Order: sequence, then structure tokens, then C-alpha cells
Amino acid sequence: MPKRGAAALQGEILQGTLDVLILQTLVLGAAHGHTIAHAIEHRSEDVLQVEHGSLYPALHRLEDRGWIASFWGTSENNRKARYYRLTPAGRKQLRAQTSRWEELVRAINLVLGRAAGPTAE
Amino acid sequence: MSWRRFFRRSKWDEERARELASYLETETEENIARGMTREEARRTAHIKLGNATRIREEIYEMNSIGWLETLWQDLRYGVRVLRKAPGFTTVAVLTLALGIGASTVGFSVFYNLLFNAFAAKNASRLAVPIVLDTSSPGDIRPLSCSVSDLDLVRQQNQVFENIVGYIPVGMVLLNDGSQTYQFYDGRVTSDAFEFYGVPALLGRGIAPQDGKTGAPPVFVMSYKTWKGSFNGDPKILGKTYTVDDEPRMLVGVMPPRFQAFGPLAQIWIPVTWTHAPSSGNEPEINLLGRLKPGATLQAASSNFDVIVKRLAALHPDDFPKHFAARVESADDLLMGPQAGGAASFSDMKDLVYDLLVTVMILLLIACSNVANLLLARATVRRKEIAVRAALGATRRRLVRQLLVESSVLAIASCVVGCVFAWFGMKIVATALPDVGRGASYWAYIGGEVSIGLNIPVLAFAILVTLFTTMICGLAPALHAVRADMQPQLSGSGRGMRAFGHGKLRAGLVIGEVALSIVLLVGAGLMIRTLFLLTHVDLGFNPKNVLLVLFMPSRGYDLGVDRAKATSAEGMATLREVADRLKTLPDVMDVAVEDTIPGYGPGDGPEVTVPGAGHAEKAGLLACDQGFLRTVELRLTQGRWLSRDEVQTARHVAVINQKLAHDFFGGGNPVGQELDVKKFKGVSISSQDTYFEIVGVVADIKSRPEKPAMPMAFVPVTVRGGFILLLKTRVAPASLVRTVQKQVWAVNRDEIFVFSKPLTDFLHELTYATPEFGVTTFAPLAGIAILLVIAGVFSVMAYTVSLQTHEIGIRMALGAQQSNILKMVLGRGLRLIVAGIVVGVVVSLGLTRFIASQIWGISATDPWTFAAVTILLTIVALMACYIPARRAMRVDPMEALRYE
Repeated sequence: MPKRGAAALQGEILQGTLDVLILQTLVLGAAHGHTIAHAIEHRSEDVLQVEHGSLYPALHRLEDRGWIASFWGTSENNRKARYYRLTPAGRKQLRAQTSRWEELVRAINLVLGRAAGPTAE
Repeated sequence: MSWRRFFRRSKWDEERARELASYLETETEENIARGMTREEARRTAHIKLGNATRIREEIYEMNSIGWLETLWQDLRYGVRVLRKAPGFTTVAVLTLALGIGASTVGFSVFYNLLFNAFAAKNASRLAVPIVLDTSSPGDIRPLSCSVSDLDLVRQQNQVFENIVGYIPVGMVLLNDGSQTYQFYDGRVTSDAFEFYGVPALLGRGIAPQDGKTGAPPVFVMSYKTWKGSFNGDPKILGKTYTVDDEPRMLVGVMPPRFQAFGPLAQIWIPVTWTHAPSSGNEPEINLLGRLKPGATLQAASSNFDVIVKRLAALHPDDFPKHFAARVESADDLLMGPQAGGAASFSDMKDLVYDLLVTVMILLLIACSNVANLLLARATVRRKEIAVRAALGATRRRLVRQLLVESSVLAIASCVVGCVFAWFGMKIVATALPDVGRGASYWAYIGGEVSIGLNIPVLAFAILVTLFTTMICGLAPALHAVRADMQPQLSGSGRGMRAFGHGKLRAGLVIGEVALSIVLLVGAGLMIRTLFLLTHVDLGFNPKNVLLVLFMPSRGYDLGVDRAKATSAEGMATLREVADRLKTLPDVMDVAVEDTIPGYGPGDGPEVTVPGAGHAEKAGLLACDQGFLRTVELRLTQGRWLSRDEVQTARHVAVINQKLAHDFFGGGNPVGQELDVKKFKGVSISSQDTYFEIVGVVADIKSRPEKPAMPMAFVPVTVRGGFILLLKTRVAPASLVRTVQKQVWAVNRDEIFVFSKPLTDFLHELTYATPEFGVTTFAPLAGIAILLVIAGVFSVMAYTVSLQTHEIGIRMALGAQQSNILKMVLGRGLRLIVAGIVVGVVVSLGLTRFIASQIWGISATDPWTFAAVTILLTIVALMACYIPARRAMRVDPMEALRYE
């Protein structure tokens, strides 16, 4: 996937973690593409500017792997929209990815000489 | 990546499109809620999303298999390109199809005759113990012993998994209550069918329980007989018939692919003690076995040498004085030398190998044609390829696309080739010589062989197709892509670049011509052999002669003990039958004798003349007074046997010129005595006998391909005979039924008859195999010529088209049309001559491989070589003619205009 997004560093990290972010967003319940995109932005306090276009291929990939499942439903403004929900396999994957991410952060912090901070949510 | 997604990509894409659209709407509305105008809102939403089409493309790509996509594209492109050039495509496909078809037929013959000749289970391990008479090379018999001795053999056997016995030829009368049939039967030990392993079509085969004493008598029928004589009626299973005056139940019908234990057998009967010939002896059975896995033929041979020597000690009369025993595999025995039964020079096995090599050569010629065509096309398409490269195609992709195109061509050729092969196989199957090593063997070529498109053959066809794709497609593809692209794009490369391929093209043509010379020489030699063979002066006239073979007792073995077959009763019956037949209007002459003229007599006793000082082996032919006229012998001195002499069995003889020459030089042999050593006759057993010579006849051949041997003709009553020859006014085959009726009128139940025109016998025994050779090689050579014409033509045409520029210049500089013609023809001739020279040299080296099929001429017969050379030169020059004319007609102005 070509790199998009704000800073290059952010873009790189974002690519690998987009999947995790999506899965995390769906923990709270099923949502459709648009909602997921905005949710990621809001929750990261707008630091992670996801180009919403790169979201859909990611969703597709996740669905391929069976971590999320999709279905057509009605959105808030009474439109037909495609909803995604987390599957049990996806839940497991999320846990695994999250702990890996935490380890990564700890390692980087150690290298940078900082103490291990509070764990990410 | 799920397969479901792959196949429903477009649907998925639509859903995606909808999803993205819904996203855009939602975002737009939100933006409007934030206060933007409709236009702005929409624009901002789009920017936020990014390029919708790109997203869809990305997802689409995620759903597809990369290489499959490109393959599909290449395929479609290839088919389109081929369709746009129908001429090229048709010629290429047909050429390859001929090559693939021919090689498939050749392989099918090779495989089915040498590896799949039997329907038996584990047929590759079938083996036969044989006995060779060491004092008479070529005399080979399968080991036979009595049924009780079979147990002895089984006990001492260490190498066979299983041994069974069979009596391969006999005849029975079968009565179903209303009609009587005369059938050939094969007798088998009760475990033989299980041993062979072919399940019955209906009912069951002979089973071990049928051999126990007291078991109800049963028999099994062959498929052909069931269809032919009983209309394939399934209800006859289980019915009881009277077979040789004994009730027997039909317990099974065998499938079409089963003809074992008797090459002519129409029904099979278990061997039991009660079915011995009337002499009261135990029946002699031939042995067939299956080797244990891993047992070698050498080990088996040494084992059986010991066993047979022990048997010979028990029954010395049944074995030749000096012999060796060996075990040979069933396949080798069937196809080995003299497998044609006859023409001692013609080896069926060699023929099959030669055929395989020939079709491979043909395939190479076809490939070289197609390679040339593809080379030419690749050159022509250089511009297209250059454009595609400029647009971003990698070299790999281009080569792959060209290969795919060749594959499409190859697949089409494979299919068409298989169709050709199917027809070719039908033709070959009918020409297959229906011969074997004689009635005493369990099988013959053609019995269970089916030349068809079975699995290994199809696999071969596909392999061959792959091979041709590689050869024909790869080289041009690589070549086309390797060239520097820029000149192609600018269009100026045409005239000069071409010669980069020139050497390769020339080489291919030379190779083609050389290979076709090899084929033509081979075919030519075989045709001449057949011609010479069929025009040998046999010394007698076999036309319009019907040969009738007798077996005067029931359940008897063909061709065995003359004394038994010609007891006084037997001879009297024969005489009566002969007299009856003579009265028939269509019969001109009848003779009684003891051999098949033209295929006998074989080696006989030693003869000498008192005072001559030396003796030699002569062939002894016992016949009667009618023999001279029936086969039109030529009397040169003295007279023929008289009726009285035959009736009284006087010791007189007529000798042939060779014998006369050997013992009397130029002198007159009439009135002299001939001393026949160890003569065995009806009333004489093995002692020296004197015959008075009463006449001399011109030599007749006992085999067409061998020189005449010394022969003496003695009265049939002295030695015994069981063959009638009828000279007929009409086609002999038409009298078969009449003869049978007449014979049965004399003695219904006792006499069996086997009748065939003499020319058919000779054909089967001597000419069938060389004819098969010609039937297969001649068409192949013909196809080769056609391919060469096509090849030479296409190369010359192409070369000329490339040289248009050059020709234009020459003409502008003053060359005449005739000069151009000479130039082009000269170029062509140089290629052809080079090819012919190479071909002739190679043929001279290779013809020794078909030496076994050639008779009457040397393997380097100069006439054949000359004829082939001239033929090919003329034909190839003809192929150059049209391109040469086109060259002549080049308009210099046109040619010079195009760069």
C-alpha cells in the first residue's frame, strides 16, 4: 500500500497498526466504515489522521482473515450501510496484537531511556 | 484469499462501490451539518476518502490471483492474435497435429505390442519355459508335459509363482439340440483362468473345482463366439450343450479382450483325465507360468534346464536328442524373431522399434516446420513487441505471453493430433499381422492387443505436445525479445535484422530435408523388399488353390503325429473325400499331401545316392498323383508319380533339380536309387529306405525368402498326409462351406476340417509382416514429403519477402528477371542439396537398423538412394518455384520505396 497520511513516521506505524485500531474500535460494538474512520480519529485526538481511503482495503483484509464479519444494516440516518463486527477469532487476535504492541512500546521506551509508562488503553 | 471471493469478484466490487458511495453520502451530510455548502461538503468528503476508484482497484486486486489474471489475459490475447492470422494458425496447427498424431500412433503400437500385449494380471511376469533343439537352430517349442508330470514340475520349480497348463488347439463338435457347430477349443488346467486373472463377462471362468474328479463338466465361451454364433444371448448361460457327445454346461462368457490358451480357441474346457485322445495316453499340456516378483529369467532358465533334463530322462522320446531348456518372457516370445510365424528375415519387434523411431523423426520434421513459421512470425511482430515493451511490459512478461501463444497452438494441435491418431490407429490395427508363432502357443499378436488411445498413450501425446511447445515456442520467443527494441520501433530494422535468424532457418531446413531423406530411404527399401518378395518365383502356382487340413480324430492336437493322423482308416477316408471333391464342378484337381506348399517342407531326413560319397538334408514332401497338376509343378525329366504307385505305396520318388544337381551333376537321375536315411513313414519306423527316382521337377521354394532346398516327392501313402489341395475354378474361399458339407457327408462326427485358400496362408505366414511395415512406413514417408514441401516453401517465401528491398536494388541496377529467378532458386537449391547430402550420409549409417526388414537388396541399395534423392530434389525445387516467381515479379520502384 502506498504511504499516505501526515508524517512519514506516523504513516509507517499506522500501516502496521491500522488493523489493531480497527479491531479495537469494533470491541465496543458493530460499526460501519464511516464510523470506524471517525472513531479512530477522535480517539487518537486527531493525531492519527487516517486517510479514510486506506481503511477499506484494511477492512477487506481483516474480513478475509476472518477477524471481522460484515453485514448490511441501516445507519443512523436511515441509509443502507455495511456494518462490521468483531468475530471471536478477531477478539483473540486483538488481545495478541495489543500485548505485542505494548511490548514494542516498552522496548522503544527502554532504548530511548524512558521508564516504562502507563500501558496504553 | 478465499475462492468464493475470487469467483465473485465483480459482485464484490459492486458491493464495495455501494459501500463507498454510502460513506461519501454520510460524510457529505456531516459536512453539511458542519456548515459547508453542498458542493463543498461533497468535495471535502471525496478528498477525505481519497481516490474511490483506486480503493476499489486495490480491493479487486486483493481478490484475484495475480498470475492467473495475467495468464487469462495472455490466453485471450494469444487466441485473438492467432485468429487474426488464420493462414499461419491453420498450417501450424495441422503440421503439429500431423507430427503429434503420427508419433502417438507409433507409440501406441510400440507400447501396446511390447508392454500391453496381454490382458492377464501382472502380464509383465508371464513367462514360458521353452525347449530348443540345439542341432536344429530355430526349432523352438514350448515345454510340454503330461498332466501328472505337471505336479513334478511344480514341485521342482523354484522361480515361478504359479504354473498352469493348456492344450492350445483342438476342435469339438457342439450341439445345442438343433444345430451342430464346429468350434476350436482350448483345454486348460482348472487353475488356468484364475491364474490369468481376467474376470468373465458373464458367469465365471473355469475354476479349480471344475478339475476335480467327479465334477460336473463345464465349458466357457469366447466373446466373439457368443456374439457370432449365439447372437449375444445372455440366456444361454447355464444351458447344457452336447460337446463331443458329452453334456456340458456353459458357465461363463469371457470379455472381448481375452484370447489366451489357444490362439484360435472359441471355447475352453478343463483338462481332466477322461478327455485324453483316443490313444489312451495322457494329454500333453504346454506350460505357462508367472515368475515370482524379482525372479530373473536367467535363474528361471537354469532352474528349468535341470527340470526339463529330468523330464527328458523319464520320457526320452518326447524330446529332441540335443536340447537346452530356457525360460523366456511372454512378451519376448510373442514378438521375438520369427514372431511373424514365418518370413525368417522379418522381425516384428525390430519393426516396432523402427516405427517408433520413424514417427519421432517425423515429429522433428514437423517441429522444425513450425519453428520456422514461428520464427518468421516473431520477426514480423517485432514492432508490436517493441511497442508493448515501451509501454512497460517486462521481458519476462513478453516471453511468457509468447509461450502462452505457442501453448494455445500446441493444445489445439494436440486435440487435432489425437483425432488424427484415432483414425491412424484404426488403420494400423487392421493392417496388424494376425500372426503368432504357431498354433502350439497360447497367444498370437493381435489376440489381446488393442491399439488405441489408452492412458499411457494419451499421456505420451500430452508429453509430446509439451515437448513441441518448448522446442517450437521457446527459441523464437527468446529470440524475438532479445533483440534491441529501438530499431524496431523506428521501422528501419526490417531488412537487415532478418538475417540474425537466417542461419537458424537455413539449419532447420537442411535438417528437415536430411531427416526426410532418412525416412524416404527406409520406406523405399521396405517397399522394394515387399515387391521383390511378392514377385519371387515360387516354382509353383498358389493361386486358386484351397488348402483343407484334416484332423481325423476328436480333441486332437494340430500338426503332431503323422502316423496317427494317417492310419489306414484315416487315409481311406481321405481318399474318399478327395474322390468326392473331385466330382464337384468347380474343382479342377485334388491332391493329397502333407505340407503347406510355399511354407514347407521343413528340414527332413538326410538323403544320399549309393556311390555318391556325401549326404545332405533334403525336404521330403509326401503327395499323390494329382499334386503336379494342382500346384502346377514343372516336370523337366522323366515322369510324375502315378496313381498305381500311390495306391500301392511303392517306393518311388520324384526329385527336384537341386537334388539332381547335387548328386548327379548333369547326368540323368531317372532310374537311380535315392537312399533316405532313417525314414519315418506310415508302416516304416526309422530305417534307411531306398526310393527309385522316376522324374525331376523344377525347384519350388519352401520359403519365398530362402533359396530352394533339395526336395524329394514321395507317395503320400508311404509317409502319411492329412492335407487336401483343391484347384478351383472360382475363388477358393467360396468353396469352404461346400467342402465342409462334402466331408461331413463321408463321416459326420469324425472328421474336422480347416480350410483356407493357399494364398491366404502364404500371405499370413510370409507377407503379412513386411506388408505391415510398408503400410506404416510408406504413409509416414508421404507425410514427411508433404511437410518438407511446406517447410521449404514457407522458408523460401519468407526469405524472399525479406529480400524484397535487396531484389529491388538489384533490379534497379540492371538485373534481369531471369537473374533474380536464378538467384532465388540457387539459394533454395543450395539448402536442399546440403540437406540431401547430410541425409544420404546419415542414411548410409542408419540403414543397418532396418536391415532386418530388408530382403533381396542391400541396405545401401543405390537405386533406392538415387530414386529418393531425385524425388526429393524435384519436389523441393517445386516448392521453391512459387516464391521464386514472386521474387521475379518484384517491382523495383515499390521495393525501393519502403525502407
